[in-house]
Amino acid sequence: MLSRVLLSLSLVPALALAVCQPDGQDAYKVRLSIKTALGANAYEWNESEQFLFRATLAFAMRKYTGQETFNVSSVIVCNETQRVSFWFVVTNPNDTATLIPKNAVEEAIRLSRNRINSAFLLSDKTLQFLGIPPTLAPPSQPSLPVWLIVFGVVMGIVTTGILALIISGFIQRKKKDIEDEDEEEKQERIMENGILCETLEGKEGVNNGAYSHDEDRLTQL
Amino acid sequence: MVEESRPSWENPMQFVLACVSYAVGLGNVWRFPYLCQMHGGGGFLIPYLIMLVVEGLPLFYLELAIGQRMRQGSIGAWSAINPYMGGVGIASVVVSIFLAVYYNVINAWAFWYLFHSFQGTLPWAECPLSSNFTTYVPECEKSSSTDYFWYRETLNISSSIEDHGGIQMGQALCLVLSWMVVYLCVLRGTESTGKVVYFTATFPYLVMIIYLIRGVTLHGALNGLKYMFTPKLSDLADPKAWIDAATQILFSLGLGCGSLIAFASYNHHNNNFEKQAIVVSLINSATSIFASLVTFSIYGFKATFNYESCLDRTQLLLINTFDLAEDSIKNNNLDDWISHLNASFPDKFATISSQIEGCDLESELDTAVEGTGLAFIVYSEAIKNMGLSQLWSVLYFSMLLMLGIGSMLGNVAAIITPLRDSAFLTRHFRKETLIGMMCLFCCLVGLSFTTRSGNYWFTIFNDYAATFSLLFIVLIEIITVCYVYGLKKFEKDIEVMIGHRPHWYWKIIWSVISPVLIIGLFIFYIADYIMGGTPTYQAWDSNLGKTVTKEHPPFAQAVIGLLLVTSMMCVPLVALITFIKKKKEQARESKISTTAS
Repeated sequence: MLSRVLLSLSLVPALALAVCQPDGQDAYKVRLSIKTALGANAYEWNESEQFLFRATLAFAMRKYTGQETFNVSSVIVCNETQRVSFWFVVTNPNDTATLIPKNAVEEAIRLSRNRINSAFLLSDKTLQFLGIPPTLAPPSQPSLPVWLIVFGVVMGIVTTGILALIISGFIQRKKKDIEDEDEEEKQERIMENGILCETLEGKEGVNNGAYSHDEDRLTQL
Repeated sequence: MVEESRPSWENPMQFVLACVSYAVGLGNVWRFPYLCQMHGGGGFLIPYLIMLVVEGLPLFYLELAIGQRMRQGSIGAWSAINPYMGGVGIASVVVSIFLAVYYNVINAWAFWYLFHSFQGTLPWAECPLSSNFTTYVPECEKSSSTDYFWYRETLNISSSIEDHGGIQMGQALCLVLSWMVVYLCVLRGTESTGKVVYFTATFPYLVMIIYLIRGVTLHGALNGLKYMFTPKLSDLADPKAWIDAATQILFSLGLGCGSLIAFASYNHHNNNFEKQAIVVSLINSATSIFASLVTFSIYGFKATFNYESCLDRTQLLLINTFDLAEDSIKNNNLDDWISHLNASFPDKFATISSQIEGCDLESELDTAVEGTGLAFIVYSEAIKNMGLSQLWSVLYFSMLLMLGIGSMLGNVAAIITPLRDSAFLTRHFRKETLIGMMCLFCCLVGLSFTTRSGNYWFTIFNDYAATFSLLFIVLIEIITVCYVYGLKKFEKDIEVMIGHRPHWYWKIIWSVISPVLIIGLFIFYIADYIMGGTPTYQAWDSNLGKTVTKEHPPFAQAVIGLLLVTSMMCVPLVALITFIKKKKEQARESKISTTAS
C-alpha cells in the first residue's frame, strides 16, 4: 500500500512533466527580458520568482473563470532557459490530467495582462507570451485635432494683419487725397494772374495812383 | 502734379538683408549637403568655391548693377538696355511665376509639420494602429513611421501621376495660409518687405546655431562630421562634381529670376552695391557650409542610431532563438557569436539566417538624400529620437518656414515690380489689389499641387521649371550686357553709380569666362536630357512601402516641354515683335516724310 502510494506520488511530478510539453497544443512560451526593462535594478530570476509567476497565472485563471479552485499547483512550468524563457500549461483543478484549452488561457491572460506585468515590473514588450499579441493602447484622439487649433490661431493673426494694413493704407490714401485737394484749392486762391498774392500787398488790391481821376473831375478855375 | 517717387529701402541694411533672405533658402539646407555627400565630402568645397568666385559673384554683381542703374523691374530694365532684349525680362517674370506657384507649396508643408508638432508625441514618431488594435497599419510597418506620415498622412500620395485624387483639405488650408502670409509681407510694397526681412534673414541663423550646438553633442554626430570632412579627392576628377558646383552656385544665388534686379531697383542711385554683392554671395556660401555641418551631424546621429538599433535587433534575434542569457551578446562580440552559433548549431541558424541584416555604419551614412526627402523625412526621423522632440521640431520647421518665405518674397518681388512699373496697370488698379490678384492667381494654380498626385507635379516643376530656362536667361543676360549694350557703356554706368570702374577681373569674367562656362553647362544639360531617355519619377508604392521608378506619361512630358519652352520663347518672340514694330514705324515715317516733301 505504502509502496503504491509512494509510486503514485513519484509519478505525479513525472506526469506533470509529461503534461507540460514545449510546442504542446495547450502550452504557451513565456519570455522575460528583465535586464532590458530594469537595467541596473534587474532582479535575479530564481525559484521564488517562478513561484510568483505561477501564482499570478493562477490568479488570472481564477479571475477569468470565476472558479476559486485554481492553485499554484495548477500551473506547470518546464524547459526553463538562461534567456529566462519557459513553457507552461494550466491544468484543470478538478482533473489534473486534462489541460485548460489554449484560448481560455489566452483570454485569461489578456484580461489580467496589466496585473501580471505589474507583478514583475515589466511591460507587454518585456514580458512576452508568444502567440498572444499585446493589446496596444489606442492613441487618444481629441475631439478637434490639435493642428487645426494652431492653424486657426495663426490664420486669425494673419487675417487681422492683412485687414489692418489694407485699412490703414486706405485711410492714409484718403487723408493724402484730402490734403492734396486742400493744397490745390489753397493754391488757386492765392494765385491771381500767375502772381502770388503775397507779392501784391493783401487781397484787396492795390490802388494805383496813376489811374485815379479824382482830382481831375473838377477843373481848376 | 509731382510724380510719386519710386519707393526705396529705408536703409542699405534692409537691401542687404533682403538679398540674403532671398538667396539663403531651402537649397542651402537640402541641396548643398547632398552634393557634398555625392561628390567626395569636404573635397567638394574646392569646385564650389572656385565656381563662386568665377561665376556666382560676377553674375550677382552684374544683376545688382543693372537693377540699380535702370531703376525698374526686369521687364523695364531689359527694354531700356535694348528694346529687342525686353524678352529677357518677360522670360524672367514667367520663370518667377512658375517658381512662385510651386515654391509656396513647400511652405505649406512646413506649416503642416509645424502645426503637428504641438502634440504630446509627435505624430510621425509612432505608427498608427490598425482597426483591431493588435498591429500597426501594414503600410507603416513596411516603411517607417516618418515615411508613412509624409506619404500617407501629409500628402496622401497616389500610386502614379495619372491618378489625380482629390484636393487634400489639410494641404489646401496650409497653402492658403502660406499665400496669406506672403501677401501680408508684400502688400505694402518695399516698406513692409523691408521690415520683414530683418526677421526672415536672421531667425534661421539663430536656429541653425542652436541646432549646431545640439547636433554636435548628439551621440554619433562625430561619425557624420568625420564622413563629411574626409575629402575623397578622387571624386573631383568626375566632371559631374564641377557641373553640379556650377549649377548649385547659379541657382543658390537666385540669378536670372529678376528678383535681384527688382530689389536693386529700389536702391539709392549711389548705393555701393559692389561691396554688398560680395558680402551677400559670401554669406550665402558660408551658410551652405554651415548648414551642411548641421546636416551632417544630424546624419551621423541618425546613422549611428539606426546602426545600433540594427545591432540590437540582431542581438535580440539571436538570444531569442538560442535562448541565451540576456546580456551575453554585446555589440562588440556580435560577430564572434554569429560565427560560433553558425558553427555549433548550423540547422537552427539556417532558419534565421535570412533575418540577419548585415549592420553597417558606412552604408547608413552613404544613404544620401536631398530635397523634400531630407527636410521632411530624414530630419523628422532624427528629431523624433532626440529628447524634447517637440521643441526641436517647432524650431526646425519654423526655420524652414523663414527660409522659404524669405525666398518667396524675392520671387514675388520679381513679378510685382515689373507689374507696378507698367503705367497702364498702376492707373487702373491700386497697389494692394494688384498684388492681391497675383497672390490669388498663384494660390489657385498652386492648389493643383495639393491633390493626391500633387507631389509628382511638384517634382516636375522643381526639376524643370527653373533649371534650364534660368541658364538660358543668364546666358542671354551676360551676352546682352557685354556685347549688345557694350561693356564700355556698362563700365561708365557703374563708375557714375559707385565712383570707380570695375576691376579688370570682373570684366574678363563677364566677357569671356562666364559665357563660356554657361554655354558648357547648357551643352551638358542638353546632352544629359537627350541621353537620359524618357524622364522618370519616383512613385510611392503603398503595398511595398517604398518608392518605385516609373516613366512619365506623355502628358507629363508635354508639360515638361511646355515649362521649358514658354519662358525661353519670350526672348526671340519679343525680339521679333520689336523688329516688326520698328519696321512698321520706319515704313510709316518714310511715308510721312515722302508725302510731306
